[in-house]
Parts: sequence; C-alpha cells; structure tokens
Amino acid sequence: MEEISVREARREDVEEAANLVVRMKRLNNEFDPLFTVVDDAPERARSYLTTSLESKSSLVLVAVKGKSVVGILRAEVRERTFYKPTMGGNITDFYILPEHRRKALGNTMLERASKALRKLGAQVVTAEFPARNEIAVKFYSKRRFRALTNIYAESTE
Amino acid sequence: MRRSLPRAKAGEEASRKAVRYSAFYGGKVATMPKVPIRSLDDFSIWYTPGVAAVSKLIQRDVELSFEYTNRWNSIAIITDGSRVLGLGKIGPEAALPVMEGKSLIYKYLGGVDAYPLPIRVTDVEKFVDTVSSLEPALGGINLEDIESPKCFEILERLKGQMAIPVWHDDQQGTAGVILAAIYNSLELTERKIGETRITLLGSGAANIAAVRLLGEAGADPKKMIVVDSKGILHPGREDMDQLLLRNRWKYEVALETNGGRVTGGLEEALNGADVLVAAAAPGPRVVKKREIAGMARRAIVFLLANPVPEMWPGEAIAAGAEIVATGRSDFPNQVNNSILFPGIFRGALDVRARTITDGMVIAAAREIARFAKEGGLSQRRIIPTMLDWEVYPRVAATVGVKAQEEGEARRRASKEELGRHAREIIGRSRKMHRVLVEKRIIPPPPPR
Repeated sequence: MEEISVREARREDVEEAANLVVRMKRLNNEFDPLFTVVDDAPERARSYLTTSLESKSSLVLVAVKGKSVVGILRAEVRERTFYKPTMGGNITDFYILPEHRRKALGNTMLERASKALRKLGAQVVTAEFPARNEIAVKFYSKRRFRALTNIYAESTE
Repeated sequence: MRRSLPRAKAGEEASRKAVRYSAFYGGKVATMPKVPIRSLDDFSIWYTPGVAAVSKLIQRDVELSFEYTNRWNSIAIITDGSRVLGLGKIGPEAALPVMEGKSLIYKYLGGVDAYPLPIRVTDVEKFVDTVSSLEPALGGINLEDIESPKCFEILERLKGQMAIPVWHDDQQGTAGVILAAIYNSLELTERKIGETRITLLGSGAANIAAVRLLGEAGADPKKMIVVDSKGILHPGREDMDQLLLRNRWKYEVALETNGGRVTGGLEEALNGADVLVAAAAPGPRVVKKREIAGMARRAIVFLLANPVPEMWPGEAIAAGAEIVATGRSDFPNQVNNSILFPGIFRGALDVRARTITDGMVIAAAREIARFAKEGGLSQRRIIPTMLDWEVYPRVAATVGVKAQEEGEARRRASKEELGRHAREIIGRSRKMHRVLVEKRIIPPPPPR
C-alpha cells in the first residue's frame, strides 16, 4: 500500500485539488439550496487555489498518494478586530476523498494545519462549514472545537 | 417472445380471479379461537373473570406472555405501502391485499399467525415508534415493501431496540435465498465462494443486503461489483458524498466492494465475472446477450425482477450461461423468499429468539441448499420449490439451533425436538385448512 503524505500544496497540485474543492462545494449543496454550486465552479476553484497559493495569509495543504491529491485543506489567517486573541486561522475548505476517510488522515491534516496557522500568527483556529453538516460537527467536536458563530440566512429573491 | 404470450394470458386470468375471489371471500385471512368453547360458561375461563389470573401472572413476569398467550406464535407484517412489489408507492390500504397474501403463506407454510398491518406513517421516527410499541403483543416483526433507503434505517433501529426478531424480507429474505441458490450453483460449477467474482445489478434493498450476507458467508467483497442506474459503484464516483448523506448503506458497499476499481457499466462489470445477481428492473432487455457472453465460462445468472426477468432465461443460456434462475415459478430455479421466511420465523418463534442474525440466515441458506442437494442437483434444480414441504421444518430446526448457539434464544431445544415441533405446527395448520375446505366452511371459489 502506498503511503499518504501531507504537505503544502504546489502549483502542480492545483488541477486535482480544485476538483476536490468542487466536490466539497457540491457536498455543501446537500445541506442547503443556498449552497447551489455555480456552473463554472471548476475554473473558479482553480483560480481560488492559485490566488491562495500566492497569498501570505493563506494556507493550502494537500494529502497526496503517489501522484494523486486525495485530500485538501485551505485556511486563511484573519485579524479579529474587536476580540482577543486578535489573530485567528480559519479553515474554509477541508475535503478528503471517500476512499481515504476513516484512516486518521483528517486528524493528521488538521494537526498539520493548526501548527502551520500558528506559525502564520493565528492564536485560535476556527472552521466553517454548513450548519447542517453533522459529520463536520462531530469531527470538530471530537477534537474539542466548539460552536462560536451562527450565520443565519434568508433568501431575498 | 413466443413463450411469453401464454404467460401473459395466465397473468391476466390470475388478476381477474384475484379481484373476483377477494370480493367473494372478503379478504384472505381471519382470526379464529383455538380453544374449546363447550358452552358460554367457558367464556368465564377464556375471558373475565378467569383471565384475570393469567394477566396477574404475566404482570409479575412479562416473559410469561410467551407461554400463556398466543404471543409465541404471533408476528405482524408491517408496511407503509411505499414500495409494494411491482406496484411502487400505492399506500397502506392498497398494500393490505399483498400483506394478507403474505400472512396466508406464513400460516400455510410455517404455521405462523402473521397479522397484516399496513400503517399510515411515512416518517422514519414515527414508524420506529409505532412498530416498537407493538412489541408486547408479538413474537416478531416482518417489515415488508418499504422503500429504500428508508427500509435500512428502520430495520437497523428496530433491531437495536426490540427484544423480538425484526425481519425485513425484501432484504434478509431475498439475500438469504440468493445465498442458498449460490451455494448450489457454485457446487455444480466447481467454484469456491471466496474466489468467485460476483456482479450484482441493482442496488436496492435485496442486493445491498446480499452484498453484506455474501460477505458474511465467505465471499470476498473486493471480488464483488455492484452496478446501479449510474454504472459501476466505486469510491471515486461523483455521487459518493450524496450517498454518504442519503444512503449510507450503499456508500459502505461502494467503499467495500470492487477491489479492482473497475469503472463503466454492466458490460465492464460482467467481463470475466462468475455470477450475476440481477435484482434491478423488469426486463426483458435490461441485461443483453453480449454482456452475458463476456462472463467467465460456466457462468451463473440470476434474473430476479418480476414479473418479467431482466432477460429471458433462454437468451441467457444461449449467450453462454450454465445456470439460470429467476423469481418466477414458471421457469426452473425459482429464487423465492417463500422458501425461506416461513421456516426462519417458525424456528425463531419456537426458541423465542430475541433477533434473527446473519448467522441464522446463513445457516438457513445452507440448510435449503443441503435439502436441494439431497434431492439431486442439476442445472434446472439448484433450489427447492415451494412444494418441498419438508424444507420448512428443516429450516426452522436449523434456525432454532443457531439462535441457541448465538445466545439469542430464550428457550432451549434439540434440533430433533425443534424439527418435530415445526412439523406438528405446520402440519396442523395445513390440516385445519384442509378440513375447513373439505367441510365447505371455506366455500369453493365462485363459478365464472
């Protein structure tokens, strides 16, 4: 069995990693129609990741098996203007292909991200995902994360 | 096609009779007393005031309800009418004739008092609450004709919280009888289950349960491939996350099967396969000759859709299949749940089982296979027919013994005792019916 390694993403990972981002956005769509994925999501995902790779406040990790990207975690460091601690690292995208789940890869990627975000100045790590994603709630709760912010939505159309 | 015309006519005739007879008899089953009523004085024994003494005993020890009432022999056949055989979502009232038919088979072939009980509940939570609240009156539950994937969750939850067997015939019954037929097909074609490549067409209740049961029975999940309307199931499929949230049973199957990560459709899935289990959609052109031709030599092909199999058996044989089974009685090798469920519940009830495990189903499948083998196996006889009366007590005794071995029985008995008891009960049930017919208490059907 080939080992899976976790490392910072490179330019050559963008194509495959973008596919995973799109899969994750489609998964989000299962939770709420306000997460309906746009038609050009693959192109947007590529551009989103390319920009992230160039940004000093972003972090993109990939899990790689052989030459394939099997997991992605994207996060960014944000200033918390009114609160202490003042710098937070927010995980915006986290997806692992079904075949590679339940093998502690999620844990490895999260730990690796926490360390990297700390180096980027984050004093707290947060994660955002659809409110109805109970799998994510369980994942983070098990790792001592707690609910911090609620975002409520109403369509104006 | 020439052969199908008389069958179509026979089907139409059966439908006409079903409507006329159902109206004439006012349904198919009824309850009746099984104790002597010599005079109205006996009511004071069977009902108040005498019955109070029995109730008090049970109040002190509820397990005695299995001894002093008919609970030991009672099950309910419960449906929401959401996926009734070949008819789809027809609702609970329309499902009642089907449940009555099942009840009739339970009584006639298994001696089991099975109450047809369609319920007007669609929500899983309410369904589970409703069914579990019936436990005090019953020795078992037969779930029937409930849509997938709801049926998986309902079965899982009820099995987890009820101390009586909960059985979903469309899952466990079909999977069990498929396994029995596979055992003998493998023997005839000199294969070992662990080395056999099995392709399953359709991912409904039957095939999802079959994957699990075949795996428990020694088949290698990595050598199984499941094909649904979108093609071969594999972990890389785009709809995997959707399955995770909407049908986690199918999601698990996608993760566990198809070790070679084959992609494509049925043709690719059948390339070199030893066995096809099709439980997909009525045919006859769902499976093509060229797809069967791509299978390994001495191929085994089960075409289980009703009323028309996924392809006509003759075409499968012409394409190279050695053994062909269908779900119909007018072709050889009928893979029919009715061979299994009456004996399964007879055995489970007779040891007051708390559940029906996969181990019990596998033991029953082995016994069915053994029974057919004793009568001589051939391409056209891999499984007993419903007329093989002795198969039911044999299955019952086997299941009863297995329940004891697995620690799921409230009562102990030897295999011989269980077989004798099952023969007595089933024999009495059929005799009672025969007498009622002979004495014209059950009148003959109306003339045309």
